[in-house]
Amino acid sequence: MQILEQIRYEPAQVTGGYTDQLLRINLTTLQITIQDLPPDFKNKYVGGRGYALKLIWDGTGRETRYDSPENILVMASGPLGNEPGFPGTGKFIIGTISPLTDTFIDSNIGGHFGPLLKLAGFDALAVSGIAQADLVIVIDADSRSISIMAAPAYDKENDEGSLSFGQRLLQDLNGGEHSDSLAAVTAGKGAGNARFGIINSLYYDKKRQRIRSKQAGRGGTGTVMRTKGLRGIVVRSSRSKANGNNAIDKEGVRKAGSRLKEVIATSDPKQLHLSAWGTTVLSEYMNKFHLFPINNYQYGQSAESAKLFAGVFLDRYFTKNMPDGCYYGCNLACSKSAENVELTLGPYAGRKINVDGPEYETVGAVSCMGIFDPHFVLEYNWYCDEYGLDTISAGATIGFFMECFERGFITADDIGYALNFGNMEAVDRLLHEIAHAEGFGKVVGQGVARGKQWVAKKHAARAGISRDAALAELSKFAMEVKGLEFSMYVTKESLAQQGGYGFALKGPQHDESWLIFIDQVHKELPTFEDKANALKWFPLVRTWFNATGLCKLPWIDVRNPEAAATDEPAKNLPTLTYYVDYFNATTGSNKTLQDLLDDSERLYILQKLVNLRQGKGTRASDQIPLRAMGPVFGNEYDSRAEYYDGWLKEQLGDTALPDSPEKKHELLVARRIEAYQKLCDIVYEKKGFSPDGIPERKTVEKFGLMDEQAEKLLREFGM
Amino acid sequence: MAQKMMVSVKFLGMQRVITRKDAINIPLTGGLRVHDVFELVRNRYPDLNLDEETTFATVNQEKASLDRLLSTNDTISFLPYISGG
Repeated sequence: MQILEQIRYEPAQVTGGYTDQLLRINLTTLQITIQDLPPDFKNKYVGGRGYALKLIWDGTGRETRYDSPENILVMASGPLGNEPGFPGTGKFIIGTISPLTDTFIDSNIGGHFGPLLKLAGFDALAVSGIAQADLVIVIDADSRSISIMAAPAYDKENDEGSLSFGQRLLQDLNGGEHSDSLAAVTAGKGAGNARFGIINSLYYDKKRQRIRSKQAGRGGTGTVMRTKGLRGIVVRSSRSKANGNNAIDKEGVRKAGSRLKEVIATSDPKQLHLSAWGTTVLSEYMNKFHLFPINNYQYGQSAESAKLFAGVFLDRYFTKNMPDGCYYGCNLACSKSAENVELTLGPYAGRKINVDGPEYETVGAVSCMGIFDPHFVLEYNWYCDEYGLDTISAGATIGFFMECFERGFITADDIGYALNFGNMEAVDRLLHEIAHAEGFGKVVGQGVARGKQWVAKKHAARAGISRDAALAELSKFAMEVKGLEFSMYVTKESLAQQGGYGFALKGPQHDESWLIFIDQVHKELPTFEDKANALKWFPLVRTWFNATGLCKLPWIDVRNPEAAATDEPAKNLPTLTYYVDYFNATTGSNKTLQDLLDDSERLYILQKLVNLRQGKGTRASDQIPLRAMGPVFGNEYDSRAEYYDGWLKEQLGDTALPDSPEKKHELLVARRIEAYQKLCDIVYEKKGFSPDGIPERKTVEKFGLMDEQAEKLLREFGM
Repeated sequence: MAQKMMVSVKFLGMQRVITRKDAINIPLTGGLRVHDVFELVRNRYPDLNLDEETTFATVNQEKASLDRLLSTNDTISFLPYISGG
C-alpha cells in the first residue's frame, strides 16, 4: 500500500487506565499530531463519550454538518476499558456530528479496537478533514509508526463491503496471518450512500479462529467516516492485555472483577441466559408485554412472533456451548454468532457466510417491517453489516415507508414496486438499492425525518392539501425524534420510556434509559415525580458507562440477588459498588457513586449545550410522535382496546367513558399528550433546565462548563 | 362430568428448553397462592434454578405478589428482571 504520510512515535505507557495522549489526524492536510492531554482533562471529561463531546464542543461550530471538513470523528475507550480481569471492558465510543440529527451522536461498540488503541498509546483518536482519495490509517505501536495510506484497491466485493474489506486489510497488514494484536474499524459503500451508515469493529476471535465484528450502529458514524474518505483504521499492539491498564491497585481490580464475575456466573443462568442466547432472548419477553415493534410500532405482539424467539436461533443457527465474549475476560459472553449460513437473497445468494449476531434490535427491526422469518433476519443482519447500514434505522425507515404505502400516502408508482408489510422480496430489493443509492433506495437512505418530507410533498400534491398538513399527519407515525429513528421498543404503555426516548440527547436510542419494565410491568414508578427521578438517575449512570469504556449489560441485565434487599432493586446498586471499586482501584481515586454521577452529569450538561448550539436542545426537540404515546389509528386502538379503555377509566374516575370508539380514541390521545407535557415540566426541573428545556446558568456553572461559548449560547437563549 | 378447576404455568425463554414444555396445568385447590405454585415448579424442575430474589411473577400478564390468591384459569409466569441493554 502506498504510504502518503508517516510519523515515528514512542507509544505512551498506560498508567491508571490512561495514556494522557490524543492522536489527531487531519485527512485534508495529511497531518498527524500527537497531543499531550493536560492532567485536568481526564478529571473533568473522564474518557469515551466525555472526550468526544469536549473535542466536538471545542473543534466544531453551529454550522458544522456531518460532511463539513471540520467535523471530527472521535474514537475513545475510557479508563476502565481493556481489563480482562473485569467483565465487559472492550467497549469504545465513536462520537461525531450526525448526518441524521445534525448534532452530536455517539455510538458504543465492542471488540478489540478500543483496548488496542489504548495499548498503542492513545486515550482517543480524533480524525478531521476530508481526503482527496480513499485512505486507510495504520497505527502500529509494534513498529512505532503511524501511517496514512492510499486505500488498497481489491476486487469489487472487497472494495464495497465493510466486513470483506476489513478482513482482507487485517490479513494484508499481517503477512496473511490472523492475530489478536490487530483490530480494525471499517465503513462499507452503503455507509457512504445512506445517512445511517455504521462502523464495523473487526477483531480476531481465537476460539472461532476467524475475524468477527461488532457495530457502532446508531446515528450515521459510518456515513461520516466514509464521507471523510476514510475506509478503515487498523491498530496494532503486541503489549500484554493482562493488566493492560496498569492499575494503581491491581489487587483491588482483581477483587472487584471476581465479585462481578461471580454474580454473572451464578445469576445469568437463572435469569436471561444471555451467555447462551445473547440478546435475542428479549424478543419473547418484548412480545409478551406488547413491546415488540411490529409493523412500524403499531402492534406490540403477534401470533407470528414466536418464529423470532431465541430458541429458534439457538436451535437452527447459533453455535452452542461457545462462550462468545467480544473482549477477553467477559463471562457474560453474549456476542452470539451463526456460522455457515447460506444466503438465499441478494447479489451473494448461494454463498455461505458467518453472521455475528443477530442482536435483539436487529430481530426487532425485521418485525418492524412485518417479517417473521428467522433466516431473513440473518441475511438482513449480514447484508447490513457488509454494506455498512444500521439495522435499526434501516428497519424503522423501511417500516415507515411500508405504512405510508399501505395507508395510501405513496403508491407503487412512487416507489417502483409494492412495499407492503411482510414483503421480503421488496425489502431485499430495497436494501441493496439503499446501499448503492439506486432507485427508491436514495430516498429511504435519508432516514425517517427526511423521508417524511418526501412523502408529504407527494401526498400533498395528490390530495390537494398543504404540505404542512400532510407532514403533520405523517409525523404522527414517523418514528423519529431529533432526526434519529427509534430503537426497537413500543412505548405506548410506558410514559417513563416515552420520556426515555424523548429526552435522550442523541435521539431515541435506549442506551440513555430503558424504563419500560420498571414502569409498565413492575409499576415501580407510579407518579410523575418517580418517573422524573428515574429519568434523571438512569441516564447519568448509563452515560458514565459510555465514558469509561464499559459494557452496561453486566450491571443492568444481570440482577444481583443482593439488590432484592435494597430500596430500589431496579438500580442494582450492589453491582454498581463493584464498578465504583473498579474505578477507584484502576485510577487511584477515592470516589463515591455520587462523585461518579456528578462527573457524568457534567458530560450530560455538555451534551445538552452541544444540542442547544446545533438547534436540537430545546423542548421542541424533545417532542415525540403520537405513536410513541398511544395509538394513531383505530386498528391500533382496537388491538389493545381492553388496556386503553382500562387506562381511560382510571383517568376519568367517576366520569363515564364515551360510547363511540372514535371518541374514546380522541380522549385517550388528548390525555396522553397532556401527560407527556406534564412529564417534560417535571423532568426539566429535576435536571436543572428551564421550562423550555434549556440548562439554567447555575447548572452550567456548577459543572465548570461556563466557557465563552457557553456564555454566549445561554445569552442567546435568554438565560 | 364436571371439569377440574386448573391454573396454568406458562414457561418462557430458557424455561421452555429446560422443561421441554410450553406450559403445565396445576389443579386449583382452595387457597392456592402464587407462592405455592412457585414452590411446586421449583421442586418439579430444579434445573430452572428459580429463586425469589431474581424472579418476579405475573398472573394473567400483570405483575403479582407471591401471596396472591389464585383463581381458576389463571395463567402464571415466573420471569427474570429485564432492564434493557
